[in-house]
Amino acid sequence: MSTLTRRHLLGITAAAGLGSLAACTGATAPATQSTPTSVATGPIDGTGKKLRFFTYEAVQTVDMVKAVLADYDKKYGSTTTVDNLPGSGAAVYPDKLRTELLGGSGPDVWRIWGGQIGAPYAKAKQSLDLSAYAKKYGWGDKVNAQALKAMNFYGMQAGAPYLMRGLGGWYNKAVLTKAGVSAPPTTYDELEAMNDKIVATGVTPLATGGKYGWHVMRLFEYLLEVTAGPELHDKLLDGSESWDRKEVTDAFGLFKKWQDKKWLPNGVLGLDPADIEPSYVQGTSAYTITGAWTEVNAIQSAKADTANFGNFILPTPHSVKRHSGFVEGLMINARSANPDLAAQLIDFFISPESQKAMKVSSSTVKGAEPSATDYPLSVDWLKKSGANPFYVIQDQAFPKKEADGYFAIQSDVLQGTTAPADAAKKMQAIIAAWQK
Amino acid sequence: MTATAIRPRSATARRVQLRGGAGAWLFALPALLVYVMFLVSPALQSLFFSLTDWDGLSPSYNLVGLENYVAMASDPVVATAVKNNLLWTIVTISFPVVIGLSLAVFLNSHVYGKSILRLVFYTPSVLPLVSIASIWGWLYNPQYGAINALLRAVGLGALAQPWLGQDATALAAAMVPAVWLRTGFPMLLYLAALQGIPKELYEAATVDGANRWRQFWNVTMPGLKQTHLIVLALALIDSFKVFDMIYAMTYGGPGTATQVFGTYMYFNVFQYYKAGYGMALAVAITLVAIVVSIPYVRSQVREEAR
Repeated sequence: MSTLTRRHLLGITAAAGLGSLAACTGATAPATQSTPTSVATGPIDGTGKKLRFFTYEAVQTVDMVKAVLADYDKKYGSTTTVDNLPGSGAAVYPDKLRTELLGGSGPDVWRIWGGQIGAPYAKAKQSLDLSAYAKKYGWGDKVNAQALKAMNFYGMQAGAPYLMRGLGGWYNKAVLTKAGVSAPPTTYDELEAMNDKIVATGVTPLATGGKYGWHVMRLFEYLLEVTAGPELHDKLLDGSESWDRKEVTDAFGLFKKWQDKKWLPNGVLGLDPADIEPSYVQGTSAYTITGAWTEVNAIQSAKADTANFGNFILPTPHSVKRHSGFVEGLMINARSANPDLAAQLIDFFISPESQKAMKVSSSTVKGAEPSATDYPLSVDWLKKSGANPFYVIQDQAFPKKEADGYFAIQSDVLQGTTAPADAAKKMQAIIAAWQK
Repeated sequence: MTATAIRPRSATARRVQLRGGAGAWLFALPALLVYVMFLVSPALQSLFFSLTDWDGLSPSYNLVGLENYVAMASDPVVATAVKNNLLWTIVTISFPVVIGLSLAVFLNSHVYGKSILRLVFYTPSVLPLVSIASIWGWLYNPQYGAINALLRAVGLGALAQPWLGQDATALAAAMVPAVWLRTGFPMLLYLAALQGIPKELYEAATVDGANRWRQFWNVTMPGLKQTHLIVLALALIDSFKVFDMIYAMTYGGPGTATQVFGTYMYFNVFQYYKAGYGMALAVAITLVAIVVSIPYVRSQVREEAR
């Protein structure tokens, strides 16, 4: 009897445990496609209707988003719930969204990045084609045209962009002053010289972390812009030129140089960007490569005086000055029970009044420029970068699998296990496989 | 029992047996339904989708036969995951079991404050994995972490490392908290089992001149045979399922250095839009786990039946 019980126990335990390995992928039937067959004209009454809004707003600003959505509900009678996943970055948020879409009905409206992060939702027809709504609400006149185009995937207007972010160097003035640097660099050589001076004071120049790959990538994509220049850089990103070339090797060489000269934090590859990036505010590093959101998320949240910080365009030797950038916008679930109401919510959300109420610092909406009182550094950044074109940030330029391969090569270069020339060859192999 | 089993049963007895059997199935039915719905059905679906090129989001897919399984052979990350899973299994079974047993033997003796010590050693087992990963992530921080600070304080600064930031140490560094948190459970099981071993056996062994070492091997270990079985079976299954610790601590990195089957499967299904391939990985690891586990379980049961 006791043997039988043990056998059962072991058998059941083993079967359950092992079965759960296969079951944990949790496959469900793929969603079916739906597109808006007709778009209601005039205002939509939301009385008795519910919407769910999924975002990754920072904890410091989510209450402003909730307030705007509450205003919408008050105006149209609907009930909108906000589901927020702050601080997760592009590495985690899309996973949760995708799981929600596959495991249930998913949110009605969700926020998403552009490029290869947002595109799969359009390709899989999980997001609604918003072309008819864009026409109804005149988004073409309200929103920056470049941003609108950046959320057009596979011939459909998959998203309504409301944020267009550019990345640059954000620095701590006291650290630069202590290092004897009176102004931020305007050439790449000046940037290297500045790094040397900062290291001499015992401070790490660049605050960056390699966990997830995308943060330290910001440095590499900048170095690639320096060595390759705008035209070649774009061709590398779309695969029309080979990566197995001198300019790419040079960029990987510079990348390694930054590590070897201690311009990056010790153990950079294991550091979480969320932990290390704010260190420039604390003064334990000099600067980071980030966007205007850092003013709220890192500077204002630390109750630091914005006057002690500044930003600069990462300098390149090319006549066309560019920086890395990306868009973010809103998509509507193709299976939403209330697509017209959701589209109306988006129109309300991207109105200049709502954008101002949410104090959006990098809005794509005309008339919603940030206030110099609320965001002096963001306004300053926009003045410097606003007229410059940007190249697509590289974790959005490639699909995630290829981007992870790219990050792995960068990791190997920094650890010295792959030489820069080999890294260029390996990267070309990844791109070639993707192109197939 | 044997005599009862071979005696011809009357029709009434058979009906009683039948009713008893049906009753047992009836009681088991709710659990079986849950098991089929939430385990068997998704597992079969995974098996089916492993034969497709489904991206995990689109409404359509194509059957590709064994293409996904063939692709694994040439995927370098799969090779890394196989190696890492193997290492992880060996380390996170052997160390927690040996340490857990040692602690149980220690705490079963006359030790002052043993109740508090039991609590201390068992507490990591009940902490959320993500919290543990976060705590150890900070301990390993190359600049401000306690581990490097301690090394520097005792004059071993040369040994300070970016533990999670280099291929050479990242997996081992992730294993340490895994061992730490997985030691408490076997300790608890062994502790309970030790208290079931009659004291008379130790007294008799002492009278026979056996020292403590001989007593451990000839009295304690045989007395823990059934517990070994349970502990090792559970530890083996747990090791094959490794996902959360790696995901939270290293995210499979640096690069792909700490990828294991669980995380690589997740990345393919949920991030790379290669659900078919990811599910093929899930099926493969399940088959490997079955191949490894079944002979072990059978041998243990056979040995027990002797």
